[in-house]
Amino acid sequence: MPDEEIAEEGVLTPLDTPVQDPLLREILAENQAAATPQEQSQPTPTKQEEVDCVVIGLGAGGAPLLARLAQAGLKVVALEAGPWHDPTKDFATDEKAQNFLFWNDERLAAGGNPLAMGRNNSGTGVGGSTLHYTAYTPRPLPDDLTLKRDFGQGEDWPLTYDELAPYYEEVEQFLGVSGPTPYPWGPARPKGYVLPPLPLNSAAQLMVRGAEKLGIRTSPAANAALSAPYFQEGVGWRQACTNRGFCQAGCSNGAKSSMDVTYIPVAVKFGADIRPNSFVTEIERNAQGLVSAVVYTQNGQQHRQACRHLFLCGGAVETPRLLLLNNLGLTSGQVGRNLMAHTGIQVWGTFEEEVRPTKGIPGGLISQDTHRPQDADFVGGYLLQSIGVMPVTFASQAARGRKLWGQAMRDYMRQFNHVAGINILGDCLPHADNFMELSDELDARQLPKPRLHFTAQDNEVRMTAHAEKKMRAIWEAAGATDIWAFDRYAHVIGTARMGRSGDDAVVDRDGRAFDVPNLYISDNSTFPSALSVNPALTIMALSLRTADKFLARERRRDS
Amino acid sequence: MTFQELLPTSHLSEATRAELTQRLAATSQAAAYEPQFFAPETYQLFVAVAARLFPQPERPVPIPLIAAVDKRLAEGQSDGWRYDALPPDREAYRLGLGGIEQIAQALFQKNFEQLEPAQKDAVIESLASGNPPGEIWQSLKATRFFEEMLAELTENYYAHPWAQDEIGYVGYADLPSWVNIGLNQKDAREQ
Repeated sequence: MPDEEIAEEGVLTPLDTPVQDPLLREILAENQAAATPQEQSQPTPTKQEEVDCVVIGLGAGGAPLLARLAQAGLKVVALEAGPWHDPTKDFATDEKAQNFLFWNDERLAAGGNPLAMGRNNSGTGVGGSTLHYTAYTPRPLPDDLTLKRDFGQGEDWPLTYDELAPYYEEVEQFLGVSGPTPYPWGPARPKGYVLPPLPLNSAAQLMVRGAEKLGIRTSPAANAALSAPYFQEGVGWRQACTNRGFCQAGCSNGAKSSMDVTYIPVAVKFGADIRPNSFVTEIERNAQGLVSAVVYTQNGQQHRQACRHLFLCGGAVETPRLLLLNNLGLTSGQVGRNLMAHTGIQVWGTFEEEVRPTKGIPGGLISQDTHRPQDADFVGGYLLQSIGVMPVTFASQAARGRKLWGQAMRDYMRQFNHVAGINILGDCLPHADNFMELSDELDARQLPKPRLHFTAQDNEVRMTAHAEKKMRAIWEAAGATDIWAFDRYAHVIGTARMGRSGDDAVVDRDGRAFDVPNLYISDNSTFPSALSVNPALTIMALSLRTADKFLARERRRDS
Repeated sequence: MTFQELLPTSHLSEATRAELTQRLAATSQAAAYEPQFFAPETYQLFVAVAARLFPQPERPVPIPLIAAVDKRLAEGQSDGWRYDALPPDREAYRLGLGGIEQIAQALFQKNFEQLEPAQKDAVIESLASGNPPGEIWQSLKATRFFEEMLAELTENYYAHPWAQDEIGYVGYADLPSWVNIGLNQKDAREQ
């Protein structure tokens, strides 16, 4: 048998030889593409003993509720697709070395403004995207939740700011958010931030200088990184930030409040069973249509974990992908729809002074004066932020944005230490043309690659133009030359929206699926609108709220 | 301080030092690298294109940019996304490099590698302009291909310690902390 060899044990081992004939290869590839994964029946692994809850995904959506459920005494298992890292050993201060933190399974970016994924917005590992978030944690302002009421466009949240405020406070206090007290925008708060703001780096100082000349108020920003050592209940002492500036990758001393150094240690302390490298492929249901088990692959082995409740926390791409692959929770027709991405245009300039943009917390400064600009020709608004940057990321953006190459690129990058940036984080309206679907191209796991359609609509285009003008003016006032803009879109939001009715929403205000009573979703996919602030803080607040509502329901059922 | 001066110091964590030491070691090995994915002649063409995208006349051994791409494609690694308008990376690179030859032939009736530096740059300009001559570019979107290729090579270039010396970046030497982080402020090891 030329295609097989007999190993010593007498077991037939097929050789994995590549097909040489191009035509045959094409035919084989076509056949493979035609077979959907659901059709490839595999033997079912033995079911593991039923637990109260399975949580899929350990980022900002999964980790807080995992801790809450474990603290309540429930038997919980967490399945995380990526590994569990050791920050001191794994988090080198090198951009390329940190690529493993990003969700690198390929996704297809379609539409007029294709969304960059991976490094831009998608993480993997115990801690999820919080391992590489910049920890910028402003609260939304109350009217972020009422766009439709105020403008007749977009969507209202089925929750009010007052309902979320206690959860924002709890998350901020627990994580040790460093920020200004009192906070200059939004309603007065019962408690201030637990730590003073982190020191302003060069980019923040330049933004203060430019904004002052234009009469724009600024403030040191709220960041979930410690400006002083901090004792955290259930975790212990955490060290202060060393101004390493490498927050878009893993924090090596635990000063950044990613989930792996905050909620996850609490979950572990209370008995949560965390299974890293566990990629979920199937969600099983019983005769009543309730979720009964999940099938996942860990280190090449297939497992089947029975559960009474499932919490899906995979983010705005993997969560709808799992729902679509398993034909789960789809009756509203909204799964995959309403894909939104924050407007995130950056403006860069060159300064005479030495900036050295890699030091200090990247988003040191904030202004929310542009939350509802008086001269706006668009719905909603945005925040302004000073930004630090690492060299490989910056050079890559200069390549994509300015198409610099050859001597021109080398010359531009030689003055890297004189470059500083500002950007916006702005709202985005849902639109029928923007959605996520399963393509017919398979990834390395033999699952259909997600395809994300995104085209900036009138509102995003107008907001971006307004912001670019404003930021160019700030940078000119601050003394910048060679100013250029890099148009980009950040966090992916939507695709499994929450709402008041199963007719037009996937989950209710508690995160519970309308179609499947023991399925909850907790991540950025449930946001009905994008908000004009970074999403992580709200994801965590909603996560705790979902856990509380679930626990209250369970207690009522027991009594 | 330069990379060579900083590398052995306690300003680098063990993890950072290990990574950068390995990257430096790969530099001298690159000349002998045997492509795993590209055909040898395609690999040489790509190296010639890279030599114009990042000309390094001052260096006896240039920062290698293509071996890492070849390795990535051979292993089927991705950065998490691609433009839907482009075919999968392997196909895009094969087609795109073939397309660069077609531009060279259309403009100068020669292979890319036989061209004078200024002519090579004209070929790349033509590609970057988004509407180059050649049949391949009827189906492969030139602007997106150029952007993807340029971004990948740029990342490979500026991840290298020599390039980081060139731009005065010492952020990898981050221990124990950065104290002077404001405008015109430097810690001693940044001098």
